[in-house]
Amino acid sequence: MHKQNRSRFFITMSALIGAILFAIYIHITNGTFDMSVKDIFTTLLRMNPTNDFDLVIFEFRLPRIVIAALVGLGLGIAGTVVQGITRNGLADPGILGINAGAGASIVIFMFFFQMELAVSGSSNWLSIIIMPIFGFLGGLIAAILIYIFSWTNGKLDTQRLILSGIAISTGFGALSLYISLKMRESDFEMATVWMSGSIYNANWIFILAMIPWLLILVPIIYRKAYLLDYFQLEESSIKSLGIQVEKEKAILLLSSIGVISACVSVSGSIGFIGLIAPHIAKQLVGIHHRYVLPASAAIGMFLVIFSDYLAKTIFAPAEIPVGIIVAILGVPYFLYLLMKTKA
Amino acid sequence: MVTTVIRAERLTTKYEKFTVFSELSTSIKKGQITTIIGPNGCGKSTLLKTISRILKQQSGEVFLQEQDMKGISTKAIAKQLALLSQNPEAPLQLKVEELISYGRFPHRKNVGTLSSKDMEVIEWAMDITKTTAFRNREIAQLSGGQRQKVWLAMALAQETSILLLDEPTTYLDLAHQLEVLQIVERLNKEHHCTIVMVLHDINHAARFSDELIAMKNGEIITAGPPEKIIAKNVLKEVFNIDARIMVDPENGSPVCFGYDALPERE
Repeated sequence: MHKQNRSRFFITMSALIGAILFAIYIHITNGTFDMSVKDIFTTLLRMNPTNDFDLVIFEFRLPRIVIAALVGLGLGIAGTVVQGITRNGLADPGILGINAGAGASIVIFMFFFQMELAVSGSSNWLSIIIMPIFGFLGGLIAAILIYIFSWTNGKLDTQRLILSGIAISTGFGALSLYISLKMRESDFEMATVWMSGSIYNANWIFILAMIPWLLILVPIIYRKAYLLDYFQLEESSIKSLGIQVEKEKAILLLSSIGVISACVSVSGSIGFIGLIAPHIAKQLVGIHHRYVLPASAAIGMFLVIFSDYLAKTIFAPAEIPVGIIVAILGVPYFLYLLMKTKA
Repeated sequence: MVTTVIRAERLTTKYEKFTVFSELSTSIKKGQITTIIGPNGCGKSTLLKTISRILKQQSGEVFLQEQDMKGISTKAIAKQLALLSQNPEAPLQLKVEELISYGRFPHRKNVGTLSSKDMEVIEWAMDITKTTAFRNREIAQLSGGQRQKVWLAMALAQETSILLLDEPTTYLDLAHQLEVLQIVERLNKEHHCTIVMVLHDINHAARFSDELIAMKNGEIITAGPPEKIIAKNVLKEVFNIDARIMVDPENGSPVCFGYDALPERE
């Protein structure tokens, strides 16, 4: 029984890794400056490097792909956790208001500090490192508000969790918009593009800012993933088994908020990945979260890299925020899921 | 000698602002089957949930083997006490055997694999509940009666000496009701499990219990052996019915064979 699940998991994962490599391949070779695979390998392996290739690969395309991959991974994981905790297949970090909270907080940060920091030049990278922390605070505030509104009788009411999440998400969205309207025109444009989810201004410092969050939080989540299986039972049964439900939920939720904030702070709000990836993962590898989690992470990676490829090529040389591409792909799937749950 | 395994002292439990019961005290004797009866909304399920730490009491203490439950870790409690809740739910694609294996949670050290001891207990639980035949099926493919037995098996896999059952026979047909209760009886007789359950059928309660607790409006009206509780005056007070009672010639337990509603009293 377990063997069967495991082989299904390994086959799926190999296929997903293949898909990711394919997405990276088309992303790195295509663009305003087409390159062959041979060019890329010679550049990566430092065999007679040229400045042009170096610039395109190391400064433009590679950071972008790495960020797309990390954001996809983070959102896929966070989405799995949020859906697992709420026992609601339509829950998603975006719906819960965590994205919006992190986003609003980063817009505030941009408004008050970044310009000053950017002016002083050399400390620019510092502001990028600080951004995820701000994002985390915003995400945390959103999460605390959601907790307060959905806490009844000493436990988390998951139905209320989603309703208050929608309200808080709208509230923070309005706040972000209000603040961004107060910005100078150039900042406003930057903020709007960032809010709709884009990664084309990616650079290595963003990646550096993001990696510690993922390195610490993803293993914590993976270690606790098996609990998500138990969380699919109803509350009394879980408690009766001796699981500290509220504590474990808080650890998982906080870790996910951290992951989401790190993602939001570099890419803005990319919706739907956290919703779609876990669903596809469950279709592929079954209901065990030890399998769903990595599969969902891989699917998230693939989706964001591929969507970003579309974002940069469809209307080239103009760029579309990747969040919009993801939404265009995601909305029909979301509606399909809604129809299916009704039936 | 009969000893007490669970003792509730001056328990008060609330839902939001509604007090279900206050200052309620009772005790459960070791190795016996105790059944809580009473009309809907009298607080019997809430009492069961409070003594199993599913609900937190507002005040008062619950003692498990003379130890205050607040001082015992929830995992340690789960090794002594299992609860089959009223409306258990599980993902429909989950396999029967896996669901039952969840019951091993409090005993497991390694999350990845089941030990041979775990496997042994799971086999035993499936054997007693007669669920071995559909161990590889998914929950979606089971009937209501089969599901209830699977849930019971999961509680048994916890390997506890105390088993709490919240309306284990509700929604089951007559044959399955009896089957579930006979499993419970066997656990009590052969494995010396202490059983506390909530039942609606007073004849089942009378037939399978050593001890009955009759509740109404958040208070324990009376407690004692079935012969004492299944009586005209008690049933009148608790359920507001005029019951006709006789003794089952087969097994000697009191049976209510007919009843009429009494006019509402204020």
